[in-house]
Amino acid sequence: MNDTTSQEDPLRPHTYDGIQEYDKSLPNWWLFTFYSTIVFSIGYWIYFHKTDTGPTQAEEYAMALAAIEEEILAKQTEEGVVIIDNAALWAMSRDPEIVEAGKAIYALNCLACHGPELQGAIGANLIDSEWVHGSTPMDARRIVIEGVLEKGMPPWLPILGEEKVNQVTAFVMSYHTEP
Amino acid sequence: MKQRANIRQPRREELTSVNEDGSRYAIHPADVDGRFTQARRISAILLIAIYAALPWIQINGYPAVYLDTDAMRFHFFGITFVSQDLWLAFFLISGLGFGLFYVTALFGRIWCGWACPQTVFLEHVYRRIERWIEGEAVARRRLDNADWNVSKIWKRLLKHGLFLLISISVAHLFMAYFLSLPQLWNIMRESPLENWGTFVFVSVFSGILYFNFAWFREQLCIVICPYGRLQSVLIDDHSTVIGYDEKRGEPRGKPTQDGVGDCIDCHRCVQVCPTGIDIRQGLQMECIGCAACIDACDTIMDKLDRPRGLVRYDSQEGLAGRATRLIRPRIILYSFLLVVGASVLIFSLQGLTHASLTAWRVEGSPYYLDQDHIRNQFIVRVTNKLNHSADYGIALDGLPVDAVATGVDGAFTLPENGEAVKTLVIRVPRNRFEGNFVMKANVVDSEGGLLAYRELEFIGPQPETSNQ
Repeated sequence: MNDTTSQEDPLRPHTYDGIQEYDKSLPNWWLFTFYSTIVFSIGYWIYFHKTDTGPTQAEEYAMALAAIEEEILAKQTEEGVVIIDNAALWAMSRDPEIVEAGKAIYALNCLACHGPELQGAIGANLIDSEWVHGSTPMDARRIVIEGVLEKGMPPWLPILGEEKVNQVTAFVMSYHTEP
Repeated sequence: MKQRANIRQPRREELTSVNEDGSRYAIHPADVDGRFTQARRISAILLIAIYAALPWIQINGYPAVYLDTDAMRFHFFGITFVSQDLWLAFFLISGLGFGLFYVTALFGRIWCGWACPQTVFLEHVYRRIERWIEGEAVARRRLDNADWNVSKIWKRLLKHGLFLLISISVAHLFMAYFLSLPQLWNIMRESPLENWGTFVFVSVFSGILYFNFAWFREQLCIVICPYGRLQSVLIDDHSTVIGYDEKRGEPRGKPTQDGVGDCIDCHRCVQVCPTGIDIRQGLQMECIGCAACIDACDTIMDKLDRPRGLVRYDSQEGLAGRATRLIRPRIILYSFLLVVGASVLIFSLQGLTHASLTAWRVEGSPYYLDQDHIRNQFIVRVTNKLNHSADYGIALDGLPVDAVATGVDGAFTLPENGEAVKTLVIRVPRNRFEGNFVMKANVVDSEGGLLAYRELEFIGPQPETSNQ
């Protein structure tokens, strides 16, 4: 091997397990990135920690959530927002398209307890005139959303989402008439 | 050693590409031709062709490789994986790891020289363009040092223009793997503001590619690439590397001299090296195993009528004149681990079906006591992973007699990539209940074949209390 080590190659004084290292210049591009991070950290420190100009992670999260809600609201306004109340649910219960959608949801999620004819079994009868938890569509919707845990009815909002909750409520109310 | 004007002489003690003061020394490898160079060019063209072609090839209605991150669906050559299959990525990642260990232990940095995108694009695209516009190494070095004039401005503009164009194309092609070509095309025709995130990503990625291939180059392999550094500990003295046969070459001398080795100290191996090392100083961490020096030296040896292979693919042991052992403890270990991993992967892939099932207990009490029954409620979610609609059913296994299950009777159809969430209610008569038991919920296809299953535990009170 052609040993080209010259006497001038300076060595760092430390030795680890007999390994020594030369004292050579780091690449300038590398030093540039290194000093850039230092400069960046000063700005970062002032921006986030000293002047509190920048949002914290919690604030950023809240802002992102607000933006999403705003977007949903804007979309609803665009599509013609329906304020869900008794009248709206009654109207939905006469809309064959919504009732059909609700029927499919019922078959998947509710039929197991409330029976294929809504006649009830494990769960309450949904077609007779006796209401256990309130008789208005909004009462029914609340039960779908919150559930009746002591009886085994789970809260469905986290599983179905609001739109499907409304549809399935409309389907149940389609068996009833507005008083 | 002869001094050559303008060319920095490599020394093992320092990086050729970094000057004493830390500034960059531009390496201009000279042209080289030979069997390895040609084979490498062919493999590079093939690899680039594969990279460019995969998004265009349609298999089962999807591009050959399409990582649909929006829908969390990953299409590989007609097989669709969904996010539920992500655990299989373990095999991909560990397989890549072991494959790398294995190949490196056997063949050294063969990946770097032959298949790494960095080398493939740099040596076979960007440097070819540079060669075409600016000329041979000597001319490129002269141009670097020349004063700015019309010719230099024109050449540099053309070169960097082409570099940018290619970088942008490569970045767009990369996006096609995640967006599919039609979607990419739609996005490209829309205003950047419509898809700001994607636009920024592609711009930044193009910029990084351009910077890397136009200026950064071998610095990536030497300073940044972790694999390059890791390989120092993955090879041993029996791994194939590129080396100089010191016994045959030394002492160096003129071709006409007697009593000297075969190396005529012509420096061809140094001139062609893309990382600027002198292979005759032994194995060095900068070496990416590109074999340019082998071809360079072979050409000279051919001219001198001396046998080829003064610089060659060989192990450290082989270069020292000893026998290279192929089978070493690490090779046996890697082979064993590779076989284990491959077997488990094949086994897992065979169990992979086109439906997946998850099931969990409904919120609320773990069980309910009715008049005569103990009731457990579950929610089951069935996902159709097929690219077309299909019929499914749910069958329950391990229920005691007289137990009643509702909510999952009958077949149901799921649309392409669709899923159904169903409520499953199981009731066991109180007097039949003999303690908690485990049952199985099976998803079956229209013929009743098992696709996936989950174990569910039926929970009730202590049998003594339930009978009261």
